Amino acid sequence: MAKNLNGELSIASANRLVDGVVVFLDDAGQWTHRFDRAAVARGERQGEILLERARAEAFGVVDPYLVAVAEDDNGALEPLSLRERIRASGLTFDAIAADAVRYA
Amino acid sequence: MPDTHFYRYDSYDRTLVAERVEQFRDQVRRRLAGELTEEQFKPLRLTNGLYLQLHAYMLRIAIPYGTLSSRQLRKLASIARKYDRGYGHFTTRQNLQLNWIKLEDAPDALAELAEVDMHAMQTSGNVIRNVTADHFAGAAIDEIEDPRIWCEIVRQWSTLHPEFSFLPRKFKIAVTGSPNDRAAVRVHDIGLRLWRNPAGEVGFEVIVGGGLGRTPMIGKTVREFLPRNELLAYLEAVLRVYNRYGRRDNLYKARIKILVHELGVEKMREEVEAEYAAARGGPLGLPDETIEAIARQFAPPALAERPAIVPEVEALKLEDRDFALWLKANVSPHRTPGYAIVTASLKPAGAPPGDASAAQMEGVADIADAYAQGEIRVSHEQNLVLPHVAVADLPAVWRALGTLGFAEANVGKITDIIACPGLDYCALANARSIPVAQRISNHFAELARQHDIGDLKIKISGCINACGHHHVGHIGILGVDKNGVELYQISLGGDVDFGNTALGAILGPAVTADKVVEAVDALVATYLESRTDGERFVETYRRIGAQPFKDRVYGTVH
Amino acid sequence: MALFTEAGTSSILIALPYADWRQRPQWPAVALVNTDPVEELAPHVGELRLITLHFPKFSDGRAYSQARLLRGRLGYEGELRATGNVLQDQLPFMLRCGFDSFESEQKGFAEALAKARTLFSVVYQPAEDHRATAARLRLEANHFFP
Repeated sequence: MAKNLNGELSIASANRLVDGVVVFLDDAGQWTHRFDRAAVARGERQGEILLERARAEAFGVVDPYLVAVAEDDNGALEPLSLRERIRASGLTFDAIAADAVRYA
Repeated sequence: MPDTHFYRYDSYDRTLVAERVEQFRDQVRRRLAGELTEEQFKPLRLTNGLYLQLHAYMLRIAIPYGTLSSRQLRKLASIARKYDRGYGHFTTRQNLQLNWIKLEDAPDALAELAEVDMHAMQTSGNVIRNVTADHFAGAAIDEIEDPRIWCEIVRQWSTLHPEFSFLPRKFKIAVTGSPNDRAAVRVHDIGLRLWRNPAGEVGFEVIVGGGLGRTPMIGKTVREFLPRNELLAYLEAVLRVYNRYGRRDNLYKARIKILVHELGVEKMREEVEAEYAAARGGPLGLPDETIEAIARQFAPPALAERPAIVPEVEALKLEDRDFALWLKANVSPHRTPGYAIVTASLKPAGAPPGDASAAQMEGVADIADAYAQGEIRVSHEQNLVLPHVAVADLPAVWRALGTLGFAEANVGKITDIIACPGLDYCALANARSIPVAQRISNHFAELARQHDIGDLKIKISGCINACGHHHVGHIGILGVDKNGVELYQISLGGDVDFGNTALGAILGPAVTADKVVEAVDALVATYLESRTDGERFVETYRRIGAQPFKDRVYGTVH
Repeated sequence: MALFTEAGTSSILIALPYADWRQRPQWPAVALVNTDPVEELAPHVGELRLITLHFPKFSDGRAYSQARLLRGRLGYEGELRATGNVLQDQLPFMLRCGFDSFESEQKGFAEALAKARTLFSVVYQPAEDHRATAARLRLEANHFFP
């Protein structure tokens, strides 16, 4: 598992302070909930710079950090770790709805 | 506030909760304004029940001694609708978790909880947590004294305790009032067991240093018999020794179980008894009047005389196999003839264990009002309990629970799985647990087969913190992460029932997610082939040992 | 580092670190770290005018026990000062444990100290501030529901 981001791609993520929503730092230095708008760092040095930037913009989010991602042929990104995939896309099963009296 | 048969808040209790909410409201304001760092704020929000998980904040609402009125349950449903996504999860410590709370809404949600005398104080953080009890308290046949009286006394003493709000680590206390311990007291930081000594006096066995997690341990008896009036003075002594000498250098060695292990129980006892002796006779002694005033509030409801044998029930039992199985699995004897204790199974086939929608919570509240004295309990096994149901009302309750999907006759059976939220929700997890539970549950859904297999407790944790209590599952499943792949380690022979406390032993190499069901199948097959008449799974395991199970699982799987 | 106290006045004595103070136990001011044995101060509590207790991190709660033992068990009546990582949100606990002066760098500390005793009008457990607990008030008022 990539703990070492050498030569790999990374994005910066955090949870928004006010509501806990998962957010990603975009190219403009703003926090977005859109994973596909995350700014991508290539290589370790760029990763360090991205993390510094994320920390500089940390007012309004909690504990920004780097997430290792991989790019497919179409340029679409996906996190390498299952935890981050779940963070980006949500529960891996259907939660029950508020008015459901039975689990579907 | 309608009459309840458990502790009713007075103006002191209400004032304290309200003041705590206002204090937290101001702390949130300061955090959002940047006047507090996250490091400074974190313990403040944790001790108000707010965790930051993978996707959102999670609010863990305290349900003291697992006891709720129907009004309170309706309020939980309402809060789930208003501030969350309309469902909640009942936990192994008798709390309710809402998974999608916003920090900015938390003070308002807590204020609404306070309207029904509920709170989220100290459900997280390095403080004394919700004191749990036997979910059959006040109704069970074998009870010596209602443990919830003592849970309430300890709850008050421990709430905003100025000396013990920055402990080395969290602190969990459980109380049992029955020799058949349904509160797992031997795997808590302090377990209290009420018993009657030869002189006829009721007092506590004080058990210290149990716990699951990274280093599971069974608690040691530090005091065989403690007179009831001395409880708080003694607890304060234990906590003070822990606060002073518990390790703070290593997060994984900071629980009191490590201190007991490193000092040895004799030295621990010496330290505690010395501290207790020095404090004896002080203001923590409990006057009989204080105890009685609280005990009176737990006086059981005056139950109208109802027949113990009911023709309609007997007939339905013969006609309807599902009802018969439900009576067998989900209904327990009550100490009052003509009544029964009903467990509502929150483990319908394929559902996330222990979850309930707002509509389901409201439905259970209605059933409680109609048939169960307006009272609901939360068990440690992520089910709900209706403690006072007339035998004559069992068919109606069964049908009503059935419309909610909560009448599956699987309590204590293989699909009555306990699972932590796991990697779907929890930032601490290494692997998912809910999808594993769902797959096992679907595979074994057939009721007759479940009843043939009999009592079998599967407990699943998504990480070593063991919130799913896997160490004490007959089959324990621990999710681990190896090189980015979810693997599941299986253990056998854990137990917390009938006064036995045993930690499970790892069976062999961890298996991949898609092989877990096969592995459980192999375990069940081994049991069915080897059991003697009436022998439960865990008893067969104890008799024949791990090898036959191991051979079958790894022969099949690998 | 600013010094705060409810009384408005505070000792200017230099508190000797415990190991040094043991060589000069007649000195009326001692600074303890949170692993120092407070019980050893027992013969001297009558003469001591200032004891400082240390919070290396605000989340390390050992000094709360030290404070309560000094006030409650040993009967110390001099100034009891909290030093180290001292933050306003812990003031209600510190005051209840018997601290009466505070060294803190935190903005807004003085205002918080002025309000700290009013945040909670109810307490459940006895401590070194001798406030009447809810349990005691109930007994006195026969305030129970039947």
